[in-house]
Amino acid sequence: MEESMINLALVGLGEIMVAVGVISDLIAALGMLRFPNFFVRLHAATVGTIWGAFLPLVGASLIAAGSEFLGQYRWFMSGGAIVTAILILILAPAGSHALARAAYRSKSAEVRPKSVDHLREFLKKEGGEESA
Amino acid sequence: MIEEEVIHFLIVVFPIYMAAFTLYAVRAVKGPTIPDIVLALDAMTYDLAAFLAVLAIFFRSPILIPTAIVLALWVYALDIYVAKYLESKEMGG
Repeated sequence: MEESMINLALVGLGEIMVAVGVISDLIAALGMLRFPNFFVRLHAATVGTIWGAFLPLVGASLIAAGSEFLGQYRWFMSGGAIVTAILILILAPAGSHALARAAYRSKSAEVRPKSVDHLREFLKKEGGEESA
Repeated sequence: MIEEEVIHFLIVVFPIYMAAFTLYAVRAVKGPTIPDIVLALDAMTYDLAAFLAVLAIFFRSPILIPTAIVLALWVYALDIYVAKYLESKEMGG
């Protein structure tokens, strides 16, 4: 009896996490489609990777841990989902940061809603001194 | 009892994931610049990893979980390769 209560709690918590994650996923996809340029779309990508991928993976691991109908392999599924979640938590910000830096430095995407760009002036000054 | 509830919940979740993937795919096809395309692919693939973990519960097949790990690692490699190419216009190691 107690065990089934624990399983029910695990499954309920996991389902809440998956539901929040999938709604954030939809919101992030809408933002990715509607936002005007690359540096604004980075915000949508953040919502889509942390809230939309990390949270449902933790939720899936909780559901797998609480579902006895999956048999003995449910612990493997639960652990694997947690490992994937931690990998995404580390890799997704690093990857999008590298991409944003490269897009800014190579000027392949313009920074449109801006009033002043100190980094560009700094880079220009630094590059000029190096070449001189 | 738990089994039926979980399966019903997952059936409700799938169409929302499909809608999100469609929107990401539209941006990945349309994207005016290379960073846009890579960013849309990036977000789509991390979400696909989460979707695979959910599918593994639905189909009761544990073999789908390692696939999600490999997918997350490969799309990180894609990010780093494209960033390096954009910054220095070369792919060398």
